[in-house]
Amino acid sequence: MSSLSARDLAGGYGRREVVHGVSLEVDNGMCLAVLGPNGAGKSTLLRMLIGILPPRRGTVALGGVPLTGLSRREVARRVGFVPQAVPFTFPLLVEEIVLQARAPHLGPWRPPGQRDRELAFLALQQVGLSGREQEPITRLSGGERQRVLLARALAGQPELLLLDEPAASLDVLHQLTLVEILTQAKGMGTGIVMVAHDWNLALRVADKILIMDEGSIAALGKPDDLPLAAILGSVFQVSVTEVDNPQGPPILLPNTLSGPPRDDREAV
Amino acid sequence: MTRFADLGVVAVLVGAVLASLFLSGPAASTGDVVSVLTGGGDQVTRTVVLQVRLPRILLAMAVGASLAMAGAALQALLANPLADPFLLGISGGGAAVATAAYIVLPVAHLGLVPVLAMGGAAGATGLVWYLARGPLGPSPTRMILAGIAVNAAASAAILTLLSLAHSQRLPGALAITMGSFAGAAPAQVLALLPYLLVPSVILLAAGRDLDLMATGEESAASLGVELSEVRRRVFLAAAALCGGAVAFAGVIGFVGLIVPHMARLVWGYDTRRLFPRVAVAGAALTVLGDLAARRLVPPIELPVGVITAVVGVPFFVAMLRRSP
Repeated sequence: MSSLSARDLAGGYGRREVVHGVSLEVDNGMCLAVLGPNGAGKSTLLRMLIGILPPRRGTVALGGVPLTGLSRREVARRVGFVPQAVPFTFPLLVEEIVLQARAPHLGPWRPPGQRDRELAFLALQQVGLSGREQEPITRLSGGERQRVLLARALAGQPELLLLDEPAASLDVLHQLTLVEILTQAKGMGTGIVMVAHDWNLALRVADKILIMDEGSIAALGKPDDLPLAAILGSVFQVSVTEVDNPQGPPILLPNTLSGPPRDDREAV
Repeated sequence: MTRFADLGVVAVLVGAVLASLFLSGPAASTGDVVSVLTGGGDQVTRTVVLQVRLPRILLAMAVGASLAMAGAALQALLANPLADPFLLGISGGGAAVATAAYIVLPVAHLGLVPVLAMGGAAGATGLVWYLARGPLGPSPTRMILAGIAVNAAASAAILTLLSLAHSQRLPGALAITMGSFAGAAPAQVLALLPYLLVPSVILLAAGRDLDLMATGEESAASLGVELSEVRRRVFLAAAALCGGAVAFAGVIGFVGLIVPHMARLVWGYDTRRLFPRVAVAGAALTVLGDLAARRLVPPIELPVGVITAVVGVPFFVAMLRRSP
């Protein structure tokens, strides 16, 4: 059974519809990478998939059960979410943030126990931040904060991981660590949906690619089955060259087309 | 470390209460207070100590605890360290309705003032949230700006009401605007208790969710928080705390800003751990503020809000300068 499925999903903010009729399926142990230009509706889609943004049309089901039939806490126990950024107004400690992922498992009164702390410790170790548990989050760099958010999602031991541009602030080494972590998670049966701007990073881990353009699906399928260079070139309005990579999937190199770029659509 | 801080804050409160009991003015000397507390003293001194000073101290404690807890809850809920019942216009909304009620209601129905003040505070809270909301939750800047707008509207309403008020009702209505514990009586302290205790239980129950809200609404929702439910409960609890405080002691600013901020520096960010400590610290601050209000320029009694503003404004400016 699919870990996550969405049927004809549409939604947006205020009067503006940002996503128009997207259907997808993510099986256990599979990674779906969502690509597309700024404002294509990728983050909005992710918010609807986790139920933070109620869709205007369509349904989302988690393990076959409609999201509307699950409490937020049940969803949080099963789905780990790595947002693009979090407003860290208060200098919470790194460990406190990672332990937040245990809250849906503990309920409103039980404090985190030894096992929760162990899971937080292991997650921080995975993202290369062990020993930093007692540091205030506000003292960490953008990339380190992103790794803390990834560790938080991992500490919840979710069956499904939703990541919104998790590599945006990561250096090269930690981008590769991210690929390793996600590959390991897939191996353990975790389904993954990852919004990414780096096509090549996405191709290292994705089993399926969803390319969005102006809120709709431009392409959806296995990377090998799709003419990726042509589709990405058309959607992003660039020319794309495929370069062979003996150590992995071909590398897609973008180049600007001659002529003025189309108007930037507002990022959401 | 935190155990010392726990003892320290309780010691400050005990010290503040004793100072307020013994040093409040010439009506009862230290010896008089001691004799009343040991069961002696004449009738007049007993009245001064037990019917005037003690209720005043207890009212100040309850109001300080209420405002500090409301501030701590709002700051966590809105992930905004500048959230304060006074700055967000919540106390102002409560005060406008309380003033109107005080002026309009017949004497027999003045007992409704706290409930109505709570309604005014709740209305102001809802309005500020509505004005500040965005697709991904309320923005901190818009929230402060919405607070300014609501405060301005509440001030205008209060000034209009005061200019229309009958002279007999004017002093009572003015006390709501100025903030004072002068009218404290044992019955008032008892009447305020439900406005402190019921919201405290609601806030303690929401503690885990409030901890998660401190990293923003999107993040909290992804961690299992039912946003609208928590928002409704916490806003109502904060409105009850502020409405009760305003109805019995008028508008007293900055307690809800200063106390939670200082408390977090000492005790960290676990909201549930913070609430009781913030309540004790808030109580201590208002008792000391009230003592200062009475003793700084005798025989004149300053509004206690003046004292909290003298402490709070520089504090607010310092926080503004530190904010990104």
